[in-house]
Amino acid sequence: MTSNTTRRGALKTLAAGGGAAATLPLWARYTHAQSAEPIRIGFQVHRTGIGAAYGRWYDRTTQAAATLINEAGGINGRPVEIVAEDDGTDPRRGAEVVEKFANQHNCDIGFGTLFSHVVMGSAPRAGELQLPYFVVSEGHHVASGALNRWTLQPGITDVKSQVMSMAPWVLGNLGKKVTMVFPDYAFGHDHRDFFSAAVEANGGEIVGLVPIPPTETSFTRYFPQIPRETEVLYHVMVGPAVLTFVKELGEFFGPSAPAIFGFIDSLEAVALDSPGLDFLNDTYFWEGMPRYAQADQSEYDAFYREKVGVDDTGSSVSDPSDVSTYAHMFGCWETLYVIKDAMEAAGYSGPQDRQLLVEAVEAMTEFPQSREHPQGPKRFNGKTHQVFGQQYISRVNDGRLDVVHTTSIEDTMYPDEVDYTTTSF
Amino acid sequence: MKANLLPGACKAFVLLLAAVVPGRALAHASEQGLVLLLPTDLYTGAGVAAVAATVVLLALLPAGWAARLFASVAVLRWRAEGARVVASCLSFLLLAALVVAGLAGPRDPLANPLPLVVWTVFWVGLVVAQGLLGNLWAWLNPWSGPLAVLRRLAGGWRVRRLRSGVWPGVATFLAFAGFLLADPAPADPDRLAVAVALYWLFTFGMALVFGPRWLRRGEGLSMALAAYARVGVFGRRGGRLRIGVPGWQILRGRAAPGMALLSVLILGTGSFDGVNETFWWLGVLGLNPFEFPGRSAIVWPTLAGMVVANLALVAVLSGCIWAGLRLVRSGMRLSRAFALFAPSVVPIALGYHVAHYLTSFMVDGQYALVALSDPFLTGADLLGLGEFYVTTGFFNTTGTVQVIYLVQAGAVVVGHVLAVLLAHALAVKAVGDGRRAALSQAPLALFMIGYTLFGLWLLASPRF
Repeated sequence: MTSNTTRRGALKTLAAGGGAAATLPLWARYTHAQSAEPIRIGFQVHRTGIGAAYGRWYDRTTQAAATLINEAGGINGRPVEIVAEDDGTDPRRGAEVVEKFANQHNCDIGFGTLFSHVVMGSAPRAGELQLPYFVVSEGHHVASGALNRWTLQPGITDVKSQVMSMAPWVLGNLGKKVTMVFPDYAFGHDHRDFFSAAVEANGGEIVGLVPIPPTETSFTRYFPQIPRETEVLYHVMVGPAVLTFVKELGEFFGPSAPAIFGFIDSLEAVALDSPGLDFLNDTYFWEGMPRYAQADQSEYDAFYREKVGVDDTGSSVSDPSDVSTYAHMFGCWETLYVIKDAMEAAGYSGPQDRQLLVEAVEAMTEFPQSREHPQGPKRFNGKTHQVFGQQYISRVNDGRLDVVHTTSIEDTMYPDEVDYTTTSF
Repeated sequence: MKANLLPGACKAFVLLLAAVVPGRALAHASEQGLVLLLPTDLYTGAGVAAVAATVVLLALLPAGWAARLFASVAVLRWRAEGARVVASCLSFLLLAALVVAGLAGPRDPLANPLPLVVWTVFWVGLVVAQGLLGNLWAWLNPWSGPLAVLRRLAGGWRVRRLRSGVWPGVATFLAFAGFLLADPAPADPDRLAVAVALYWLFTFGMALVFGPRWLRRGEGLSMALAAYARVGVFGRRGGRLRIGVPGWQILRGRAAPGMALLSVLILGTGSFDGVNETFWWLGVLGLNPFEFPGRSAIVWPTLAGMVVANLALVAVLSGCIWAGLRLVRSGMRLSRAFALFAPSVVPIALGYHVAHYLTSFMVDGQYALVALSDPFLTGADLLGLGEFYVTTGFFNTTGTVQVIYLVQAGAVVVGHVLAVLLAHALAVKAVGDGRRAALSQAPLALFMIGYTLFGLWLLASPRF
């Protein structure tokens, strides 16, 4: 997935003006030019293990953004070098990778971790090593206060704000009586807890909770647990049995289904014309960023798609059946630009300025929608180290997703649960 | 977190948090999701029926029929010792360059050429080519050439006898398999570079002490590859290159000592490599596949599973062979019968190898091309790929997933059919009479039918 071209592009940019130096490996190129030494960004990427499908697109997005940053002169006049290390989607290895960034590769920062359990395994080590650690995981763990001063999530919103911001529109447009079908473990419990609370706060009612064992592959026997009075069915199943789940749901309800609302996590990187998914026509999904280019597409979204190599349907430009993880991967792009801005604001010149870098990020507040922030405008909370931004609700129309509602940033906000700025470095 | 926390306390805190803080699962639905929607029960039934039909057919056909199927014909005279030394030396130089790339090249295992060449080009591509064609490893192993050169330069030296039978080969093969299956990061470029360099040095040292015989009896990887080569269509007999139906060499040639046991171990290890990716296995370990804690958390269960799977397979196969001998009141010793019949499972192992690695090969093969085109991330494009995005789109459409699944299932079924044919032909050779041969093979044939079901179940199971 790494775009060879993209990587080559990044390196060509690095070598611009260097002439023959372009043929040298990176480590050899800057041995005599201290000031031109690259900013090394340790990219903790899920190359293998259960996160590999996401890692592929996180890498592609990261390389594209790094290329652009280098083409525009790098950070503080220095080129950016992405040092990618595989963590195997493994928390213990995640901590080892963070150590390698700090101790072996002389990285300035760590960046890019997606899976929550890897973040949880790695962040304490980043804290001990005093390595600024920019995660792109959506987990609520940063804003919950579970981590540390060195861990930040400035490029992607967290699952708590995503889920709770859905409630007003769902209750106002689809129905007040909600049944939730979710996988019976932490990920599903997040949705259950955050959405249940938001439903009650907005005057709705949870009439049914249907937990499903995570490795289940046949679902028909669970569907009778869905109460008849259900007006909205909220689903968030994941894994290889999702297509079976939707197919059996369609067989169970036939044409008399309640309104259905889901999280695109279920079908991220999955084509909407996959077998069985026709039942999802006229149902609704949360999207972190709209997979399909919309009629009112911003120039920023168009620019971002072009640079990452994604077409108007969210698929790779080189293979229309290679569907991207479009709802999530923008987080890598936006995080790299936050890092760039913060390093420039802090006058970052090397590892001795790491604390200044964290403080510079903490001082940030608004990121307007732009080429650097194509998903939409954002508001950063320096106390909780978490960014907030608008969310999208899309309707499935004949195999594509059309946005029907965009939340405000205010819809996604909740009271602070931590103030990292009062904790020590 | 404060920097002065004790590491132990820190770990405990993380584990506690990991237990209570909600996680997220992003395991995506595509390929295996589409497989779950295919009529895999139908395919599995057809595959098992094909193997069962082969068994029935063999009982009905004349005794010499299977043996004639495995006849071979000479293609050309074949003496190429010098060329083999040169090829092996070049392979050694390539390996040395790859080790340097592993240490100094990109840290990303999908950008560094070392893990891609070792795990994709060698362990998938070369092993399959070896199994389909013949003994390419005799040319491409990185030891025999340098060893021959050194012996020529030094004028030869006395080597010690290798008295420990097949056990060094078994031990080194299981060590390799353990690294492949259980090591937390076998594709990490640094780690792999060190492992490859140390293993090369160890093997070369042992070959200096015990002579080239070490490569045939002590080096498990070469022994496994030699076992696979005997399924290949090309083989060398009496100075001639011959061609025949896959497996003919197992019937015609004589297996080196230890080959029988190695043949079973490559099947046992390959089978476990499939099992340990299933939700079923994670259920046995009490793990949720969507919160899989990573390979580092299950090193010992994986090693234990691999050993138990191999022991179980050796025991069951031995039991089947023993029962067959009893059925026809044969006086053949079990150890001799095991040495005779066990290599017939190698086509199954090859079928599993193809089925198991096909999907990763389709993706990582693309990465290998990209990495070989730009081995040190210098922006080079040695292979002229131009703009190249690695894709996994073929896992997203029913048509392509169905083709992939059927190729995998076909490899498993063809492997079993070949194994049944071979076992029967070996039995005819051993006991003479066709009916007695069929009877003696009945338990082994039942085992192979059952193993077909197992292999096809693996393909259709939910896994990650």
